[in-house]
Amino acid sequence: MTISKLLVANRGEIAARVLRTAKARGLATAVLRHTSEQEGPAHRIADEVVTIEGATPVVAYLDIPQIVEAAQRIGADAVHPGYGFLSENAAFVAALEKVGVTFVGPTSEVIDLMGDKIRARAFVEGRGFPVAPSAIEDDDPATFVERSRAVGYPLLIKPSAGGGGKGMRVVRDDSNLESEIETARREGERYFGDGRLFVECYIERPRHIEVQVMGDGQGNVVHFWERECSIQRRFQKIIEETPSPALTPEQRDEICETAAGIACAVNYRGAGTVEFIYAQDGSFYFLEMNTRLQVEHPVTEMVTGFDLVAEQLRIAAGEGLSAAQADIPQNGHSIELRICAEDATADFRPAIGDILLLDEPRGEAVRVDSGILGGGKVTTDFDPMLSKLIVHADDRAQAIARAREAVQNYVILGVTTNTGYLDAILAHPDFASGDVSTGFLAEQAETLTTPGKDVSDLLMAAAALSDERLVNDVMQIPEMHRKMGGWRN
Amino acid sequence: MRRIESQIDTNAPDFKANYAAMSERLKEFHARQHAARFERPQRDIDRLARQNKLGVRERLKLLLDPGTPFLEFSTLAACREYDGVVPGAGVVTGIGIVQGREVAIHANDASVKGGAWYPHTVKKIVRLLDVALENRLPVVHICDSAGGFLPLQHGVFPDRYLGGRVFRNQVKLSQANIPQVAVVGGHCTAGGAYVPTLSDYNIIIEGTGAIFLGGPPLVKAATGEEVGVQELGGAVMHTSVSGTGDYRAATEEHAFSLAREIVSQWKRKPKTIIETAAFEEPYYDPKELYGIIPKDRKTQFDMREVLARMVDGSRFHEYQPDYGTTMICGYAHVWGYKVGILANNGVLFNDSSLKAAHFIQLCNQNRTPLVFLQNITGYMVGREYEERGIAKDGAKMLMAQGGSVVPKFTVIANASYGAGNYGMCGRAWDARTLFMWPQAEIGVMGADQAANTMADVKIRQLQREGKELTEEEIAAIRDPVLEKFRRDVEAYTSTSELWDDGLLDPADTRNALGMSISASLNAPIDDPNYGIFRL
Amino acid sequence: MQRIFQINGEEAECWLSHDGSEMILNTPDGAIPCQLDPIGTPGGYVLRVRGRAQDVRLAVGPDATFVHLNGKTYAVRRVDPAERLAGNEGSAASDRLVAPMPGVVVSVNVKPGDQIEEGQPLLVIESMKLETSLIAPRGGVVAEIPFAEGDSFGLKATLALLAPEEE
Repeated sequence: MTISKLLVANRGEIAARVLRTAKARGLATAVLRHTSEQEGPAHRIADEVVTIEGATPVVAYLDIPQIVEAAQRIGADAVHPGYGFLSENAAFVAALEKVGVTFVGPTSEVIDLMGDKIRARAFVEGRGFPVAPSAIEDDDPATFVERSRAVGYPLLIKPSAGGGGKGMRVVRDDSNLESEIETARREGERYFGDGRLFVECYIERPRHIEVQVMGDGQGNVVHFWERECSIQRRFQKIIEETPSPALTPEQRDEICETAAGIACAVNYRGAGTVEFIYAQDGSFYFLEMNTRLQVEHPVTEMVTGFDLVAEQLRIAAGEGLSAAQADIPQNGHSIELRICAEDATADFRPAIGDILLLDEPRGEAVRVDSGILGGGKVTTDFDPMLSKLIVHADDRAQAIARAREAVQNYVILGVTTNTGYLDAILAHPDFASGDVSTGFLAEQAETLTTPGKDVSDLLMAAAALSDERLVNDVMQIPEMHRKMGGWRN
Repeated sequence: MRRIESQIDTNAPDFKANYAAMSERLKEFHARQHAARFERPQRDIDRLARQNKLGVRERLKLLLDPGTPFLEFSTLAACREYDGVVPGAGVVTGIGIVQGREVAIHANDASVKGGAWYPHTVKKIVRLLDVALENRLPVVHICDSAGGFLPLQHGVFPDRYLGGRVFRNQVKLSQANIPQVAVVGGHCTAGGAYVPTLSDYNIIIEGTGAIFLGGPPLVKAATGEEVGVQELGGAVMHTSVSGTGDYRAATEEHAFSLAREIVSQWKRKPKTIIETAAFEEPYYDPKELYGIIPKDRKTQFDMREVLARMVDGSRFHEYQPDYGTTMICGYAHVWGYKVGILANNGVLFNDSSLKAAHFIQLCNQNRTPLVFLQNITGYMVGREYEERGIAKDGAKMLMAQGGSVVPKFTVIANASYGAGNYGMCGRAWDARTLFMWPQAEIGVMGADQAANTMADVKIRQLQREGKELTEEEIAAIRDPVLEKFRRDVEAYTSTSELWDDGLLDPADTRNALGMSISASLNAPIDDPNYGIFRL
Repeated sequence: MQRIFQINGEEAECWLSHDGSEMILNTPDGAIPCQLDPIGTPGGYVLRVRGRAQDVRLAVGPDATFVHLNGKTYAVRRVDPAERLAGNEGSAASDRLVAPMPGVVVSVNVKPGDQIEEGQPLLVIESMKLETSLIAPRGGVVAEIPFAEGDSFGLKATLALLAPEEE
């Protein structure tokens, strides 16, 4: 089951990142590119670029028959799905298995199981791992409201098929429980075509902590420690770090071992992440398991020194894990910032534009996983995340300082990005003290988007002086008249 | 070119006394200019505010490029007319920079009698348009006028250089391919309607601007039709129905922004090339002129000292330094432009006249603009000089000067008497600009001579009738005449009557010349060609 | 020369001039001497304002200039002065839809009281063998449609009247 040629069925920064490791391991590499898509860093790394077609780029990247056919056509013996798109699609895995192409990831059964929140939860709960008190409608629809009530308030109603925060509703007292259930059901139907719900206890000011796990599919599972991902806007992470400032060493061991235990229970193969909701009192509950490489995996790589993509490829090639648990350290502190084309002052509205100038920060312990090139265009065809900035340092304070310096030196001109906003978060005293929850950005919205000291005269000067037509017009004034200035007789 | 070595001692008592006297005069001059520009009765200021109109100075600020000079003409026009209630003759004219281009500006001042045209208003506008024609300067008209001032209609309307000449000049400008834009920021009634309509482009400000041959009251009287200003000639009607107006501006700011945009559409034409050098400030401080000009006009002074405080680097190449020494001729640079300078250093004799005629021909041959610096009491009189042909030598100088094709610029620095004014390019001789210093005088002769001459005629007539006059009686005849003459020769009378383009603080002369020379180079310079020199 | 910029949503007006030796930015707060010199790196400049120098990176886009200054990125949007100063073009005239030439009403699409949007066709007229659709000059409420289908009208006849806009 050796792998000699890898097709990366993804794009942007993750495609580039996977390709780099694949190339370093001596594999022949290929990557996809939609007909309307501009050149990105990945296309410059891959040995081969496979053009895919579709009404929109996203449709093409989700087109299983086309991608499977492409893999066969170019003679790829393995496909790395990256994250998003088809990375957690059991049908894709099955389709590849059918034609004898290796999928770099878990089995379709595990993907299936973990992809269904209710089944996943039941499975985890059944194996004795902590889950938040909850009520699942499917268990007995007739008693759903009663069982929900038993969970206690505040509680959270979620669509079974949901994700990304859509259709979630917080209920704080009994008076509107039933009406909120109905509303959530309608939303679930609308967003996911599935009105089934479940209810779990709502944890005030929770943190989001997840654990990186890796299994060989032969019963061996290790964890690569946790990641703290509480800095979220619109339920999406934008800053991740490891170690979590919230955990004591005992809690850390407990949560990491729990995650490894869950992975072991499904005989996990490949890289996965077990996400937990962590309450202020130190209790934590299983949230879900992501059966793929995460966006934020680089922070784990920075503190452990492992290349997780290399580990994925090893496992896919049947070479097994490269290390035992005891060999996996957690050195220093790492922070990742997601650089997004969006306007933080306008409800994170995605921004578009041409990348007129790109100068990414460099330096010791600074890593940029970038999906953009200078001269490129940012469109709304894809996710607004342009790149990731990852830093490493001996401790958290130094990591914050390094991250601030790097993000301040991240020059992307031509499209509005969140670099200033990320810097403002890093500079916030609550972030520095580690006292955050998933609601932090919403609570601090105002303080984080307040414009700093007024530099408008500098900006006007820069804009005016770089306006060639304006300067040209000014210089057309005869020199004598310019020298006379505002003289009046 | 060598630097002029100044002989002036700025610590000398004379210098200090002159300086103090001139400073006093200039204080008054600047105060009068300031008043003419800015001081208005409160009711006029209130009326403009009520009409939602900006003052003419604010309009100019919106029009002109910031940080650029504006050479204003005849600020004190009409200062001795109409009991002084029509400051600046109710109109602002000058040369300024719009979108990097030199333009002539004609702007009604509605804070003065609603911008009504008085005889001096017309004279000032016609002069500005003459400047535009001679120098081929595009024109920006800012129209806001109540129309001709009816009680003085004979001084406004019928003659060759009166009202009609404004429009005639607009036509000539257009014929000569010199663009014009008009901003209508008030009413343009009757003849005034032709200013915007004869312009290549016009902009009407909504609400305040209107154009009609007859305003609503006149229409009512003539035909009985009752119609409002907006329907009759407002911005909306003219820009959408009649096509009389080109652009409708929502506000004054919008109007001037549009005007600037229109000016920036105009093709820049190449300027006439003359000899230039890099700029150099005068080595000697121009403010020292205040101490050089004697407080008593009869005191002689060396014009080289004046030149040293006016020209680049105080450098001067003098022509025939030892011949005809009452006429200084030579080359210098002003704001980098090479010019030929003729400056009086005493009365004009035969040799100084011939020297001037020759030097003027050199400058014409060499395409060097001429600057005349007047301090002249006239051509020398007396039997010896007549025998030497002073009249025909003077004629040679006039023929050379008057026949010049290069642009000429005149500064009346002190005295400008008699035929000396002609020889030294007085008003009648088409100087592109002519400025006067506030202490200078102009007349056929000095006030004392003129008064004495007139009084003597009267006294001799009375004596012929057998009347013996006492000293008191003689004084009673002479003194009123003298007083009138003294006033008539003053620079303020000259500038009130628009015999000049304005009075200048002597220290501003260099800039005024620089602006004038630069403007003149928008017109080509013809080949030299002269009439008959009486030899 | 004038420019209007928009920084952090706020409009700021300035003029640029040059006094023979340096550039001057004229703002409502005063005249500021300034200078911008390239330093060789792409988009890299030294910006000198009031004599103080600092490094900037900048890029000029079609509608905005992007400036990286002191670790922050700013978009300085350019506003067309004429466009902004033109302000609200709406005047009394836009309440009234006037016949551009004499003709006949072919069809009427709205009735008094209807809520309409800008650009919505109100009625179709025929004149000189051509059918023309008359569209609403602004959003609002139809006050009056004086002619019915088949009616003839003369030049400048009012074909539709909109209810005056409330301030």
